[in-house]
Amino acid sequence: MRRLPQGVVAALLVLPSGGYLALFFGLPLLLAFLGSFGLYARGGDGGFTLRHYADLFGTQAYRDGLVFSTYLAIVPTLVSLAISLPLAVGLAQTFPGRKLFNALYKVPLVVPGIVAAFIVMTLFDRGGLAARLLTPIGIDLPKIVRDDWAVGVIIATAWKAVPFMTLIIGGSLGAIQKDIILAARTLGATPLTAFWRIQIPLALPGITAAFLLTFIGGMGAFAVPNLLGPVYPLPLSVHMYVNAFERNNWGLVAAMGTMLSLISVLVLLAYYRTTRSLRTAYGGEVR
Amino acid sequence: MTARSGLHPSDGRWITVGLGASLLIALGLPLIVALLWSFMDPATGWFAPDILPPSYALDHWEWAARNTDITQALLLSVGIGLAVTALTALLALPTAYALAKLPFAMKRAVELFILAPLIVPGIIVAVGIGTIFFRLDLAFSMPGVILVQTVGTLPFMIRVLAATIEAIPNDLINAARSLGAGPAAVARHILIPLAWPGFVAGGLLTFISSFEEFEKTFIIGSPFVQTLPVILWGYLGGRVMVFPTAAVVTFILLVPMLIVFFLAERVLRDDVMAAGMGKL
Repeated sequence: MRRLPQGVVAALLVLPSGGYLALFFGLPLLLAFLGSFGLYARGGDGGFTLRHYADLFGTQAYRDGLVFSTYLAIVPTLVSLAISLPLAVGLAQTFPGRKLFNALYKVPLVVPGIVAAFIVMTLFDRGGLAARLLTPIGIDLPKIVRDDWAVGVIIATAWKAVPFMTLIIGGSLGAIQKDIILAARTLGATPLTAFWRIQIPLALPGITAAFLLTFIGGMGAFAVPNLLGPVYPLPLSVHMYVNAFERNNWGLVAAMGTMLSLISVLVLLAYYRTTRSLRTAYGGEVR
Repeated sequence: MTARSGLHPSDGRWITVGLGASLLIALGLPLIVALLWSFMDPATGWFAPDILPPSYALDHWEWAARNTDITQALLLSVGIGLAVTALTALLALPTAYALAKLPFAMKRAVELFILAPLIVPGIIVAVGIGTIFFRLDLAFSMPGVILVQTVGTLPFMIRVLAATIEAIPNDLINAARSLGAGPAAVARHILIPLAWPGFVAGGLLTFISSFEEFEKTFIIGSPFVQTLPVILWGYLGGRVMVFPTAAVVTFILLVPMLIVFFLAERVLRDDVMAAGMGKL
């Protein structure tokens, strides 16, 4: 049998999943992008238009929705990060029961978002267990479910995101060579200095990747804000669903999807900037 | 370890106590409360200010066992999960091999494109595919749901398989090739057996993410494809809140997932899992 050139072999091997993603991921996104400008749109006349973007930015509810989507992306991510960083460091220590804890903390990874929302309802909704426990000792719990600041959404999203971030951050902290930390300690750095000046910068690619993925999850979330979030504003994801399936306004849906994707891409570019400047600063491959 | 952290050895016990308490509050308590709701006695109810239900009953579990909607949803979720896992593994293997072992032009671009579905929120993918599926008559169908879920599971499977295949020595593959094995024989006798842990771990996690997937399934499949999360959504998002029912469905959904997850935990090393997700 004649050997094919390596490039052709690679192309053939990449074809199944590459083609699949091109067909069921790339093409729909391209159509949505074109559709947001009225091109090849369902139910449109096919001419170029900025009408859908004017609609998106001209309507108060959608403008607020865009801001609210960004809020639901940033705040739960920051909360999870603040919990995950110490948790990842703690889990890396030696202590009795380490193996067990290392398995148990990951449980929320497999708990569906809807179940997380249900749990928040049973605990924090009016008449929930938290209120029942706190009222007798004189603490009046503020409204947490369907409240203006979306605290319920933040709790549910962060609860699910913490194990995910901890896993990735723990992985990148664990990949740092122990010699580097020991060298810093020998040169007089306290454990805390070594942590902030050596471990955190070296683990930054992992930390930013975890940040990025959680951010995007929060921004596109549909079920949790729908169940736990305030009546107003609604995040763009919910507006997308309503406009697509209840109002059949696909051009506007496409414009909203394009805006959300645009924010994702901007955050992704920021991620690449961070990791690239790190690669230059420390030289060589940084994981 | 202790030298690095600068903690005194006996401090290890404090970590155990601290982590144990946090896990109990963040994980144990919510699950216990959900469990109590599932055993609530409809005759007495469970109202404030009662911390514990006044009495317990199996009514809601019996209702679920008799309810064909729920048993069907369970079977459907398992079926879709298996189909998504098989399709994902089949599509992922060749690409994972190419990314792990072959040098080729534009490799970085291919890597980025394969990761792209992780960067775009699922609802955008689902609504976008929806417009195409309407034309192809795949909307509101089980094949449509399988196809849309695979978009989300493929990137992770490729990453995990590529990380596993990367660890297979090139010598083994070259030796087999020079002894006359064709690509298919190499795949069957070397690649697949040695990458098996990656298949098992990636497969179990693919199954989990299919089993718990809601947003894409709901948009593409609802109201005709009712998986367990879609049913649970109905119980929570409706006008009447049905906590006990939702609690029962929660455990029907959660128990299989936890079993599969702890199986995956045993095969999958943390660093492989982190490599699958944490490097873009």
